[in-house]
Amino acid sequence: MAMAGRAIQVSSIIVILLGIASGSLSLPPDRSLHPRILVLVDDLTVKSSHSLFFASLADRGYRLEFKLTSDPSLALTSYGEYLFDGLILFAPAAEHFGGSVDIASILDFVDSGRDLILAADVGMSETLRTIANECGVEFDEDSNAVVIDHLNFAESETDTEHSLIAADTFVASSAILGEKGAEAPVLFQGIAHSVAPANDLVIKVLSASASAYSANPEVQLNGPPSLSGTSISLVSVLQARNNARVLISGSLSLFSNKFFVFPFKKFGSSTSFQRSGNQMFAEEISKWVFHERGHLKAVNVHHHKVGNLEEPSMYRITDHIEYSVEIYEWTGKTWKPYVADDVQVQFYMMSPYILKTLNHNGQGLYTTSFQVPDVYGVFQFKLDYNRLGYTTLAISKQIPVRPFRHNEYERFIPAAYPYYSSSFSMMFGFFLFGVVFLYHK
Amino acid sequence: MAGAAGDVKALFSSLKSAYVATPTKLKIIDLYVFYALCTAVIQVVYMALVGSFPFNAFLSGFLSCVGTAVLAVCLRMQVNPKNKEFKELSLERAFADFVLANLVLHLVIMNFLG
Amino acid sequence: MGSRSVGAVGSVFASLILLLIGVLAFSIRLFSVIKYESVIHEFDPYFNFRVTQYLSKHGIYEFWNWFDDRTWYPLGRVIGGTVYPGLTLTAGFMWWLVNSLNIPLSVETVCVFTAPIFSANASWATFLLTREVKGTGAGLAAATLLAMVPSYMSRSVAGSYDNEAVAIFALIFTFYLYIKTLNTGSLFYAILNAFAYFYMVCSWGGYTFIINLIPMHVLLCIVTGRYSARLYIAYAPLIILGTILAALVPVVGFNAVMTSEHFASFLVLVLIHVVAVAYHVKRLLSPQMYKMAVMFVGMVGMAGAITLGVILVTLVAASPTKGWSGRSLSLLDPTYASKYIPIIASVSEHQPPTWPSYFMDINVLAFLVPAGIIACFCPLSDSSSFVVLYLVTAAYFSGVMVRLMLVLAPAACILSGIALSEVFSTFTRSLKYQAPLTVESQGSQDMDPSKMNNLSVNSKLGEHSALGEHSSDKPEKNELKEKSSKRSRKKEKDKEVLLKASESDKKKRLLGLPFEASAVGIVLLVILGSLYVVHCVWAAAEAYSAPSIVLTSHTPGGLHVFDDFREAYAWLRHNTEENDKVASWWDYGYQTTAMANRTVIVDNNTWNNTHIATVGTAMSSPEKQAWEIFQSLDVKYVFVIFGGLVGYPSDDINKFLWMVRIGGGVFPHIKEPDYLRDGTYRIDAQATPTMLNCLMYKLSYYRFAEASMDGKGYDRVRRTEIGRKNFKLTHFEEVFTTHHWMVRIYKLKPPRNRLRGRAKKKAKLDVKSSKLTSSKLLPRKNPF
Repeated sequence: MAMAGRAIQVSSIIVILLGIASGSLSLPPDRSLHPRILVLVDDLTVKSSHSLFFASLADRGYRLEFKLTSDPSLALTSYGEYLFDGLILFAPAAEHFGGSVDIASILDFVDSGRDLILAADVGMSETLRTIANECGVEFDEDSNAVVIDHLNFAESETDTEHSLIAADTFVASSAILGEKGAEAPVLFQGIAHSVAPANDLVIKVLSASASAYSANPEVQLNGPPSLSGTSISLVSVLQARNNARVLISGSLSLFSNKFFVFPFKKFGSSTSFQRSGNQMFAEEISKWVFHERGHLKAVNVHHHKVGNLEEPSMYRITDHIEYSVEIYEWTGKTWKPYVADDVQVQFYMMSPYILKTLNHNGQGLYTTSFQVPDVYGVFQFKLDYNRLGYTTLAISKQIPVRPFRHNEYERFIPAAYPYYSSSFSMMFGFFLFGVVFLYHK
Repeated sequence: MAGAAGDVKALFSSLKSAYVATPTKLKIIDLYVFYALCTAVIQVVYMALVGSFPFNAFLSGFLSCVGTAVLAVCLRMQVNPKNKEFKELSLERAFADFVLANLVLHLVIMNFLG
Repeated sequence: MGSRSVGAVGSVFASLILLLIGVLAFSIRLFSVIKYESVIHEFDPYFNFRVTQYLSKHGIYEFWNWFDDRTWYPLGRVIGGTVYPGLTLTAGFMWWLVNSLNIPLSVETVCVFTAPIFSANASWATFLLTREVKGTGAGLAAATLLAMVPSYMSRSVAGSYDNEAVAIFALIFTFYLYIKTLNTGSLFYAILNAFAYFYMVCSWGGYTFIINLIPMHVLLCIVTGRYSARLYIAYAPLIILGTILAALVPVVGFNAVMTSEHFASFLVLVLIHVVAVAYHVKRLLSPQMYKMAVMFVGMVGMAGAITLGVILVTLVAASPTKGWSGRSLSLLDPTYASKYIPIIASVSEHQPPTWPSYFMDINVLAFLVPAGIIACFCPLSDSSSFVVLYLVTAAYFSGVMVRLMLVLAPAACILSGIALSEVFSTFTRSLKYQAPLTVESQGSQDMDPSKMNNLSVNSKLGEHSALGEHSSDKPEKNELKEKSSKRSRKKEKDKEVLLKASESDKKKRLLGLPFEASAVGIVLLVILGSLYVVHCVWAAAEAYSAPSIVLTSHTPGGLHVFDDFREAYAWLRHNTEENDKVASWWDYGYQTTAMANRTVIVDNNTWNNTHIATVGTAMSSPEKQAWEIFQSLDVKYVFVIFGGLVGYPSDDINKFLWMVRIGGGVFPHIKEPDYLRDGTYRIDAQATPTMLNCLMYKLSYYRFAEASMDGKGYDRVRRTEIGRKNFKLTHFEEVFTTHHWMVRIYKLKPPRNRLRGRAKKKAKLDVKSSKLTSSKLLPRKNPF
């Protein structure tokens, strides 16, 4: 198992390196059109209590496999190959996993480019807390503390501590949340987590409002709560450097059928919602997590001198060159051209000498042309594209730039004509002098 | 002052009379040297006015003038009948050396002229 | 009739001896090829070799325009404009010639053997030069001495493919042509001199020595009243033609007229013209007129000279280094480099030499040279004054930089050759005239050259057998007797000549030394010569033949070879991608580009101090900052040289102080006192935390304690235990360590895929231990 673990590490490192080397990682090469997803649950009632969510996944073509966390035949890989393309952990209290699954193998699963949906809840286990911490998300240390919001809760009879929150602070990204976004607030009942501000890979999709705080309702608070306000994140996503996506939610019931069809009225507002926004939200965000939206690839980088079509191995200073790249977006079934006006390319040598916005032709082809600066050295064409909700594009192609050859300068410099003429006159004078000197009697 | 001016005049007249006595061959050489140095001075003045942009052209033009002048002076020394140490050096050999040197000089100048 | 035939025999002998000298010079440098293999040594020769390969593959126009993108990443280097092409073009020409004659020598073979070939040429050039000064005998002696002198040998063994191999030959040849022109006054030799100077400029940056020494000599001649037309012909065409030829070489370019190193030649040029005109006018006019002219010109000229001088001084003083380059300034002011330019100060070849290095490098010549100086003064001619001046300046510069002992060597050989030849001729003359009456006097004139040649032959015999000194005077005496017996038959016919000769004979006998003294003197001189020969052969075999890329040590089990460097470069060549960048300290840059064929960040050219300082800072910083610096330079692999396991003293930890100083010179957050404990760099438990945390320490000693037998990690070079053991690397991973741990290659880890949160990790991530720790923790309750 240690050997398999190391083999996975090595192969994952190789995959990561290939990904970084080639720019944006296409989807893992063995991902089929009907990806397989493993769903781990504590008990099989979750399968029925969250059936709407699972049905939406199955409708989109995913093949789901339900297993208990204690199943001794659990395995993510077999002989070095991954058996699944996605993992859903709806088991907040799971301490151990059966079979060959454990914290390290789940993290390797993510590091190999595959996606994970993790739902925590009150009483989450240390294992899940560690996995979440490895992904950059820090759950409240007290696993019995729930998010309480006395101003933004949904009115219900069962909930007296105001822990059933109707949250509507979404991240502003149509890639993550879809075109329409969530029309109704999302119901949330669970624990809080926070994200370090320095961590730029994690995005807070659904945050709590300014009046929320995290506390254990049965215990009296002695001081101010450790997590409060908008720093509390209710649902976060991590987009790792290899573009694997991890969704971490503080509430398992967010995905449940009950919350999907729950009509409620928010405290303090007069509107009552027939349906919560949970179904829309869960569907859209699962589309994003499983790369049906916001997944870009940049291929076919070409550069050449204006006029030629072949790619040279070296440029000269003050050459005019053209650069082109094709960018596509994955729709879940096919690649469609990506259209944006803010893709830029740099001509870079320790600092960008040229920075140009690429023009697109609507079919995913981005081009630009510029003149090489008057500096020689080894430059790179650097394409760095980091937009919220989209995969990172980082492609660089190295090209040396040489100075002028000895015969590429101006042939005759006008300012030097006096010197040319004086040299020739000296030669003529020497010839004349020689003749005179020799033949003078 | 008058004494000094008179001295200077006497100096110049004695110089002139001594110079007239030199052989014609040497005077031809002197004329050639004078021509070369004039061209050199013209080039320096031009450079001082315009700036030294194609410095290699200036350098090659200037050095070609000064170079032929120096070589001609060497020839003069070798050909001068008053020089005792060059008694056994024939005129033809001295001139041949001079021609070779000038050929080399002008070849290099052409190369450096750009 | 007799004298002519003896003269012919003498010249045949001389040419035979010259040929043998050439063979000696070539073969004494072959020890490294015999002991190790035909491989290129050191660091700089690898760059020259790579350039020669490129030249032979692509031709001269490509070489002239070559932009090298595999070094000084990402700045690149324009090779055509920054390299002295003489050596490369010479070796390339030889390779092309040999291959067009269908002799299939590889470029490497030609490069390895270029230096011995040109040292043979240099000995012949020394013969020519000394013959111009003092005669054939001195020439032969000087050539023999130069063929073997250890100082020159150290830079020209087979495999040391560096500029000096060709440049010393060019230096001596230029001086020979200068002296020849000075002696004959022929313009033809002046042209040849200019070409030889051009070749010197192409070959080595040390050409500034020539362009300053010759003006100095001309000045000396003018000042001592030895101005003549020949001096003008020797000097002025050389300067004009030489300057424009020097400007043709791209590396020199306009420096030929703009830098202070050349100003002396222009000043003296002006001066010699003034002197020439003064002499000419003096000849034309009568003395009083001349005096008046001098006064008149003096006044006018003084004013002009003062204004010109003021302009020149302001121009020169405007530049901070007064127009001199850093290396030249450090020659004039030996403390300059250590204060301002740590890179120049850090090269071990630029340190001043110690006294033992004089005896090691020029040995016996060190006390023959003063005798040679005296011999040059009687009589003093232009050429002998030149040689004395050459020696004095070379002796000064060799005292500043040990590398310039190389320039002293030819001067020492010339003067020692002169001294030896003078002493031998005095002794043999005394022997001849003080010998018992069997010696006839008539043949005395004819026997002189043959005797001298005999003696030189005998001194060569002496090198084959160290005991030859006893036998040497016996055959000589026998030959004396034979020749005298032949001639005695002739002389019986001319009795008047005998009478006259005996008169001059008596006079000469009075001038000579006593017979026994001269015999003993000759014997002692031959012993001295053989001691010199023995030392040179030992130096060639033991001291200067190490290729430094392969190390050896003698163990009880035989010879043990350390081939770690080539092992590491081969690993890099075969296990990394073509475009991967490799970072190391600048010493190894040339070897890495040539042998491993990978792009490097800095190399031995050291032209960009900031870039070197960046690498030095990275080596002195903690792991994370070093990783960031290397990542910004796109580096993939880093390697360090570590000698602690086998006791190799020139490893990177010993060079670390230069990394700190150079890095600290550009980046002020690296402060040298942070790494020092009590003023010294330590790596044991007493070392400062900054030192124990820096990248150089970690990369050198990673796994060192674990891999050593007693777990203590004893460093054999620093002779202590290391201070920090059993640590892990977080941003680098070890990919290769050579057999004797001399080269350790590391790879930069890619940036982490996920960024962790700040909460403490309570469970370990190990597969085994996650199950074990959780099960182990439970039973650890207090049983009571």
